Amino acid sequence: MNEQATWLDGNALAGLLEELFATELTDTPHGCGSCGAVRAIGAHRLYRGAGLVLRCPVCSDIALVVATTPTSRVVHLAGNWRMEMSRAG
Amino acid sequence: MRGPAVVWRYGTVTALIDESPHAKTIELHVPEWPGHAAGQHVDVRLTAEDGYQAQRSYSVASAPEDPRLALTVERIDDGEVSPYLTGELRIGDELELRGPIGGHFTWRAGDDGPLLLVGGGSGLVPLMAMLRHRAARSSQVDARLLVSARSLGDALYSDELETLAAADDGVVLHRTFTREQPAGWTGFTGRIDAQMLSSVGPAPAARPRIFVCGPTAFVERADDLLVELGHDPTTIRSERFGPTGG
Repeated sequence: MNEQATWLDGNALAGLLEELFATELTDTPHGCGSCGAVRAIGAHRLYRGAGLVLRCPVCSDIALVVATTPTSRVVHLAGNWRMEMSRAG
Repeated sequence: MRGPAVVWRYGTVTALIDESPHAKTIELHVPEWPGHAAGQHVDVRLTAEDGYQAQRSYSVASAPEDPRLALTVERIDDGEVSPYLTGELRIGDELELRGPIGGHFTWRAGDDGPLLLVGGGSGLVPLMAMLRHRAARSSQVDARLLVSARSLGDALYSDELETLAAADDGVVLHRTFTREQPAGWTGFTGRIDAQMLSSVGPAPAARPRIFVCGPTAFVERADDLLVELGHDPTTIRSERFGPTGG
């Protein structure tokens, strides 16, 4: 067991993702741009540092980076994402 | 899929229940609560007088069928949020929260079983919501629960779990105590291992829906052991707390 394990999983990002994209995304599959593995966002690894970095659980390639500035959020997406949002509201 | 983004709202504390020396259940009345699925969490936000905000996620402990929204919070002594929630919050206070949040770590009674639930410490909380939901719906789904706690005194919901298991309708309860065992204890002791998980079952061939929740190191260990035992990684859903947070 790695006592130094510091990552969480994509589930911890659920609130922010819903804030950004107005839809629940953790059960949505994401295709890795590097190894091609398709895994639910909730099953990815989340690293928290100066920004939030979501990585493929198979090869660790980046799937998402969110940086927060005093006035904005900067979002970088990688790999294959699919989002379905309600048209209402 | 859901419509508009989650909104911040206020709930009123209606009850506070000591679950262990380190954990407390907060029952809330949340006007216009949209309802949740077992396994989902809420984000709780505290705002200081100077405007400083701290936000943490807490799993919902109550069943979707329960009109009260219950969170069980473990106190992290050097945390920013949990000492307030477990020590300062009083009945009648308002708490700012948004949710329900998450769709990956959820189970609905209509989903197939069997279930294998593995919880470390307060990682039991979302699994408890699943078992309460299962009971509220009179589900007969085969549900195996393995809980790891430091001692009986640290273990959450012990009486309720024993009642659920005694109903003999498909819930099997296993516990392991890692630091201190009750007198005459004949169950598991020590950290979870392959033999423990194997004897709790169900076997990989039964393709159980597996939910693992706890501190990151606990979840890493459990997930690795489950894959080594032959469980398909895509049948395992995990939720990590991280080593800190509080």
